[in-house]
Amino acid sequence: MSEWLIVLLKSTAMFFLALILIRIMGKRQPDMGPFNFVTYSVIAVLTVLISVNVIRNLVFGLITLGVWVALPIALDFLAVKSKWVHDLINGKAIILVKDGKVMEENLIQVRYTGEELLRELRSRNAFNLADVEFAVMETTGDVNVLLKSEKQPATPYDLGKQVAPRPESQTVILDGNVLDEPLANLGLNREWLNDQLERLGVSPANVFIGQVDGTGELYADLFDDSQQVPQPKVKELLYANLEKAVADLMSFALETNDLQVKEMYAKNAGKLKRVMEKLKPYLLR
Amino acid sequence: MTVGAKVKQTLSSLKSVKSTVDIYAAQSQPAESSAAFREAAEMVNGVISDLEKRVQKLEFEEPQYKGL
Repeated sequence: MSEWLIVLLKSTAMFFLALILIRIMGKRQPDMGPFNFVTYSVIAVLTVLISVNVIRNLVFGLITLGVWVALPIALDFLAVKSKWVHDLINGKAIILVKDGKVMEENLIQVRYTGEELLRELRSRNAFNLADVEFAVMETTGDVNVLLKSEKQPATPYDLGKQVAPRPESQTVILDGNVLDEPLANLGLNREWLNDQLERLGVSPANVFIGQVDGTGELYADLFDDSQQVPQPKVKELLYANLEKAVADLMSFALETNDLQVKEMYAKNAGKLKRVMEKLKPYLLR
Repeated sequence: MTVGAKVKQTLSSLKSVKSTVDIYAAQSQPAESSAAFREAAEMVNGVISDLEKRVQKLEFEEPQYKGL
């Protein structure tokens, strides 16, 4: 067999072999530790060397490749079972900043200069060292930063605001096709969807993406971008109606002379106000 | 507009509020929000029944404005 044919066959075989091996080795993404990088490099180089027939003995090549694939898998399994093995393979996370103070000994351990530390902090949007409460270098070499509590973005919890839980939206129409499974997940059906689309005045075939949020509100994006879709304002309207009812009841209470009736109106106005308070996080966002 | 008519107007708008809240109670996804809407609907219902009683009384007092 001529040499070029051998190279062609080997290359094709190694291409698929490498594909399968990498799949077997798992889903580790590029943020792998340094040793994983070495493993992948060795596999890549071995694959190339076998392909271009530098390693003439196929068996030797495959044995080496097998060892470099099997050992990492075995070690990964051991690491799951034992913390000691895990630390041995992956190393430990190293704390760079603690209680707002830079740990110089640890910096030397990971061979970071102050300049590099600042660069990493900046890349995490901490431009001011004074804002950093805690920073740690993960085993993958990434630096993660915890800002001081007063510098962290405010959450509704910080503001003492009550917010409604908002579950993820379900996509019910894609490319004009109605998807039945997400609809069923929400406890809705096609009739409901057709009804909603009719209210918006669009046909299902004209919808590129249709999503239903946690409160059952439909958002539709159309193929025809010149057509304006009325966005649902039902919640805002509902809240405004409640507000109007409260005002009405108050004015009734003022107008009547009958004390008992006055009290009844005032009591009910208070009740509606509590309802408004309760529904506010759900209706207004 | 008489007082009776005004109260009736408020009553009907509250009824529409209640039915909308009912719809949300039925189609909201997490049980938590669904329960909040249901509770709100119940409270609005209490207000509605109080107002209905008042309308009956007003109609009894001024039968000439009775209707609907």
